[in-house]
Amino acid sequence: MYVCLCKGVTDKTIRQAADDGVTSMRELRALYGVGSQCGSCTSCAREVLSEHLATRQQKFQQLPTLPIAVCYA
Amino acid sequence: MSALLTGSAPVLAELNRVLTRKLTAINQYFLHARMYRNFGFEALNKHAYKASIYEMKHADALIERILLLKGLPNLQELGKLFIGEEPEEMLQLDAKVQLADIQVIRSAIGVCEQAQDYVSRELLSEILEQQEDYLDWLQTQLDLLKQLGQSNYLQSKIHQE
Ligand code: FES
Ligand SMILES: [Fe+2]
Repeated sequence: MYVCLCKGVTDKTIRQAADDGVTSMRELRALYGVGSQCGSCTSCAREVLSEHLATRQQKFQQLPTLPIAVCYA
Repeated sequence: MSALLTGSAPVLAELNRVLTRKLTAINQYFLHARMYRNFGFEALNKHAYKASIYEMKHADALIERILLLKGLPNLQELGKLFIGEEPEEMLQLDAKVQLADIQVIRSAIGVCEQAQDYVSRELLSEILEQQEDYLDWLQTQLDLLKQLGQSNYLQSKIHQE
Protein backbone atom coordinates (compact mmCIF):
# COMPACT_ATOMS: atom_id res chain seq x y z
CA MET A 1 0.00 0.00 0.00
CA TYR A 2 1.07 3.57 -0.64
CA VAL A 3 1.31 5.03 2.84
CA CYS A 4 2.52 8.37 1.51
CA LEU A 5 0.92 9.07 -1.83
CA CYS A 6 2.54 12.47 -2.29
CA LYS A 7 5.99 10.92 -2.21
CA GLY A 8 5.06 7.43 -3.42
CA VAL A 9 6.30 5.66 -0.30
CA THR A 10 4.86 2.21 0.44
CA ASP A 11 4.46 0.30 3.70
CA LYS A 12 7.15 -2.09 2.47
CA THR A 13 9.62 0.76 2.11
CA ILE A 14 8.87 1.90 5.65
CA ARG A 15 9.32 -1.61 7.08
CA GLN A 16 12.55 -2.05 5.17
CA ALA A 17 13.74 1.29 6.52
CA ALA A 18 12.92 0.14 10.04
CA ASP A 19 14.92 -3.06 9.41
CA ASP A 20 17.77 -0.85 8.30
CA GLY A 21 17.73 1.08 11.55
CA VAL A 22 15.22 3.90 11.12
CA THR A 23 13.32 4.43 14.37
CA SER A 24 11.59 7.80 14.03
CA MET A 25 9.25 9.75 11.80
CA ARG A 26 11.90 12.45 11.58
CA GLU A 27 14.29 10.02 9.92
CA LEU A 28 11.54 8.70 7.61
CA ARG A 29 10.80 12.21 6.50
CA ALA A 30 14.45 13.04 5.94
CA LEU A 31 15.05 9.86 3.94
CA TYR A 32 11.87 9.56 1.88
CA GLY A 33 9.92 12.78 2.38
CA VAL A 34 7.12 10.91 4.16
CA GLY A 35 4.60 13.47 5.43
CA SER A 36 6.46 16.43 3.96
CA GLN A 37 3.82 17.50 1.44
CA CYS A 38 0.15 17.28 2.43
CA GLY A 39 0.84 15.64 5.78
CA SER A 40 -2.24 13.41 5.73
CA CYS A 41 -0.10 10.25 5.88
CA THR A 42 1.71 11.10 9.11
CA SER A 43 -0.40 9.10 11.52
CA CYS A 44 -0.62 6.13 9.16
CA ALA A 45 3.16 6.15 8.62
CA ARG A 46 3.78 6.40 12.34
CA GLU A 47 1.49 3.42 12.88
CA VAL A 48 3.26 1.27 10.28
CA LEU A 49 6.66 2.21 11.69
CA SER A 50 5.87 1.66 15.37
CA GLU A 51 4.02 -1.57 14.66
CA HIS A 52 6.98 -2.94 12.76
CA LEU A 53 9.46 -1.80 15.40
CA ALA A 54 7.32 -3.50 18.06
CA THR A 55 7.25 -6.83 16.18
CA ARG A 56 11.00 -6.63 15.64
CA GLN A 57 11.51 -5.98 19.34
CA GLN A 58 9.34 -8.96 20.18
CA LYS A 59 11.26 -11.20 17.78
CA PHE A 60 14.56 -10.23 19.34
CA GLN A 61 13.26 -10.94 22.80
CA GLN A 62 12.18 -14.40 21.73
CA LEU A 63 15.61 -15.26 20.34
CA PRO A 64 17.56 -17.70 22.47
CA THR A 65 20.04 -15.85 24.63
CA LEU A 66 22.76 -18.42 24.07
CA PRO A 67 25.14 -16.23 22.02
CA ILE A 68 25.09 -13.58 24.75
CA ALA A 69 25.73 -16.21 27.44
CA VAL A 70 28.74 -17.32 25.43
CA CYS A 71 29.99 -13.74 25.48
CA TYR A 72 29.84 -13.62 29.23
CA ALA A 73 31.53 -16.96 29.68
CA MET B 1 -40.52 29.53 8.32
CA SER B 2 -36.87 29.86 7.49
CA ALA B 3 -36.00 28.74 11.02
CA LEU B 4 -37.73 25.48 10.22
CA LEU B 5 -35.34 24.87 7.38
CA THR B 6 -32.21 25.39 9.39
CA GLY B 7 -30.47 22.13 10.15
CA SER B 8 -29.48 21.25 13.67
CA ALA B 9 -25.76 21.55 14.35
CA PRO B 10 -25.27 17.82 15.00
CA VAL B 11 -27.05 16.92 11.75
CA LEU B 12 -24.97 19.39 9.74
CA ALA B 13 -21.80 18.05 11.34
CA GLU B 14 -22.78 14.47 10.43
CA LEU B 15 -23.68 15.40 6.86
CA ASN B 16 -20.30 17.08 6.49
CA ARG B 17 -18.56 14.08 8.02
CA VAL B 18 -20.17 11.80 5.45
CA LEU B 19 -19.35 14.34 2.72
CA THR B 20 -15.64 14.25 3.61
CA ARG B 21 -15.66 10.46 3.30
CA LYS B 22 -17.40 10.73 -0.07
CA LEU B 23 -14.91 13.25 -1.44
CA THR B 24 -12.10 10.98 -0.30
CA ALA B 25 -13.66 7.85 -1.79
CA ILE B 26 -14.21 9.55 -5.17
CA ASN B 27 -10.46 9.91 -5.53
CA GLN B 28 -9.51 6.53 -4.14
CA TYR B 29 -11.90 4.60 -6.38
CA PHE B 30 -11.03 6.71 -9.39
CA LEU B 31 -7.30 6.15 -9.05
CA HIS B 32 -7.86 2.43 -8.44
CA ALA B 33 -10.10 2.26 -11.53
CA ARG B 34 -7.45 3.70 -13.78
CA MET B 35 -4.72 1.58 -12.16
CA TYR B 36 -6.79 -1.53 -12.94
CA ARG B 37 -7.13 -0.33 -16.52
CA ASN B 38 -3.42 0.33 -16.74
CA PHE B 39 -2.74 -3.22 -15.49
CA GLY B 40 -5.15 -4.50 -18.16
CA PHE B 41 -8.05 -5.46 -15.89
CA GLU B 42 -10.82 -3.70 -17.74
CA ALA B 43 -13.64 -5.40 -15.82
CA LEU B 44 -12.27 -4.16 -12.50
CA ASN B 45 -11.79 -0.69 -13.96
CA LYS B 46 -15.44 -0.58 -14.89
CA HIS B 47 -16.67 -1.36 -11.38
CA ALA B 48 -14.29 0.96 -9.56
CA TYR B 49 -15.05 3.76 -12.00
CA LYS B 50 -18.77 3.35 -11.44
CA ALA B 51 -18.24 3.32 -7.68
CA SER B 52 -16.34 6.59 -7.94
CA ILE B 53 -19.16 8.20 -9.91
CA TYR B 54 -21.67 7.00 -7.31
CA GLU B 55 -19.60 8.61 -4.57
CA MET B 56 -19.68 11.85 -6.54
CA LYS B 57 -23.45 11.70 -6.93
CA HIS B 58 -23.78 11.13 -3.19
CA ALA B 59 -21.44 14.05 -2.51
CA ASP B 60 -23.60 16.21 -4.76
CA ALA B 61 -26.78 15.25 -2.92
CA LEU B 62 -25.12 15.92 0.45
CA ILE B 63 -23.82 19.31 -0.69
CA GLU B 64 -27.31 20.34 -1.81
CA ARG B 65 -28.87 19.10 1.41
CA ILE B 66 -26.34 20.94 3.58
CA LEU B 67 -26.92 24.17 1.64
CA LEU B 68 -30.67 23.79 1.97
CA LEU B 69 -30.23 23.45 5.74
CA LYS B 70 -28.20 26.68 5.72
CA GLY B 71 -24.96 24.93 6.47
CA LEU B 72 -21.65 25.21 4.69
CA PRO B 73 -20.56 22.09 2.82
CA ASN B 74 -16.90 21.48 3.60
CA LEU B 75 -15.18 20.65 0.35
CA GLN B 76 -11.82 21.56 1.77
CA GLU B 77 -11.24 18.59 3.99
CA LEU B 78 -10.12 15.32 2.47
CA GLY B 79 -9.21 12.13 4.28
CA LYS B 80 -6.24 9.91 3.63
CA LEU B 81 -6.37 7.77 0.49
CA PHE B 82 -5.67 4.07 0.83
CA ILE B 83 -4.09 3.13 -2.48
CA GLY B 84 -2.99 -0.44 -3.06
CA GLU B 85 -0.11 -1.62 -5.21
CA GLU B 86 -1.75 -4.65 -6.81
CA PRO B 87 -5.37 -5.74 -7.46
CA GLU B 88 -5.86 -7.88 -4.35
CA GLU B 89 -4.60 -5.15 -2.05
CA MET B 90 -6.62 -2.53 -3.93
CA LEU B 91 -9.80 -4.57 -3.44
CA GLN B 92 -9.00 -5.09 0.24
CA LEU B 93 -8.40 -1.40 0.84
CA ASP B 94 -11.59 -0.40 -0.99
CA ALA B 95 -13.53 -2.90 1.10
CA LYS B 96 -11.97 -1.52 4.28
CA VAL B 97 -12.84 2.07 3.33
CA GLN B 98 -16.33 1.17 2.20
CA LEU B 99 -17.05 -0.70 5.43
CA ALA B 100 -15.91 2.30 7.47
CA ASP B 101 -18.12 4.55 5.29
CA ILE B 102 -21.09 2.36 6.03
CA GLN B 103 -20.49 2.60 9.77
CA VAL B 104 -20.23 6.39 9.59
CA ILE B 105 -23.44 6.61 7.53
CA ARG B 106 -25.28 4.36 9.98
CA SER B 107 -24.36 6.52 12.93
CA ALA B 108 -25.26 9.65 10.95
CA ILE B 109 -28.69 8.14 10.31
CA GLY B 110 -29.08 7.77 14.07
CA VAL B 111 -28.25 11.44 14.63
CA CYS B 112 -30.78 12.54 11.98
CA GLU B 113 -33.40 10.33 13.55
CA GLN B 114 -32.78 11.90 16.96
CA ALA B 115 -33.00 15.40 15.51
CA GLN B 116 -36.21 14.38 13.71
CA ASP B 117 -34.65 15.33 10.39
CA TYR B 118 -36.39 12.59 8.45
CA VAL B 119 -35.46 13.95 5.03
CA SER B 120 -31.74 13.82 5.77
CA ARG B 121 -32.23 10.37 7.23
CA GLU B 122 -33.98 9.25 4.06
CA LEU B 123 -31.19 10.65 1.91
CA LEU B 124 -28.57 8.80 3.96
CA SER B 125 -30.60 5.59 3.84
CA GLU B 126 -30.61 5.71 0.06
CA ILE B 127 -26.87 6.29 0.04
CA LEU B 128 -26.40 3.45 2.50
CA GLU B 129 -28.20 1.01 0.24
CA GLN B 130 -25.85 1.69 -2.66
CA GLN B 131 -22.85 1.51 -0.32
CA GLU B 132 -23.88 -1.92 0.90
CA ASP B 133 -24.24 -3.11 -2.69
CA TYR B 134 -20.71 -2.06 -3.52
CA LEU B 135 -19.27 -3.55 -0.34
CA ASP B 136 -21.02 -6.79 -1.23
CA TRP B 137 -19.43 -6.73 -4.69
CA LEU B 138 -15.99 -6.08 -3.18
CA GLN B 139 -16.35 -8.91 -0.68
CA THR B 140 -17.52 -11.26 -3.44
CA GLN B 141 -14.38 -10.40 -5.43
CA LEU B 142 -12.18 -11.14 -2.44
CA ASP B 143 -13.94 -14.48 -1.90
CA LEU B 144 -13.59 -15.37 -5.59
CA LEU B 145 -9.95 -14.43 -5.50
CA LYS B 146 -9.38 -16.84 -2.63
CA GLN B 147 -11.36 -19.65 -4.24
CA LEU B 148 -10.00 -19.36 -7.78
CA GLY B 149 -6.49 -18.28 -6.92
CA GLN B 150 -5.09 -14.94 -7.92
CA SER B 151 -4.10 -15.76 -11.50
CA ASN B 152 -7.39 -17.47 -12.43
CA TYR B 153 -9.37 -14.68 -10.87
CA LEU B 154 -7.40 -11.95 -12.60
CA GLN B 155 -7.62 -13.73 -15.94
CA SER B 156 -11.40 -13.46 -15.70
CA LYS B 157 -11.05 -9.70 -15.26
CA ILE B 158 -9.06 -8.92 -18.38
CA HIS B 159 -12.06 -8.43 -20.62
CA GLN B 160 -15.01 -6.28 -19.94
CA GLU B 161 -17.83 -8.35 -18.43
S1 FES C 1 0.59 11.57 1.55
FE1 FES C 1 2.45 11.82 2.59
S2 FES C 1 2.80 13.94 2.46
FE2 FES C 1 0.96 13.70 1.35
FE1 LIG D 1 -18.38 4.83 0.07
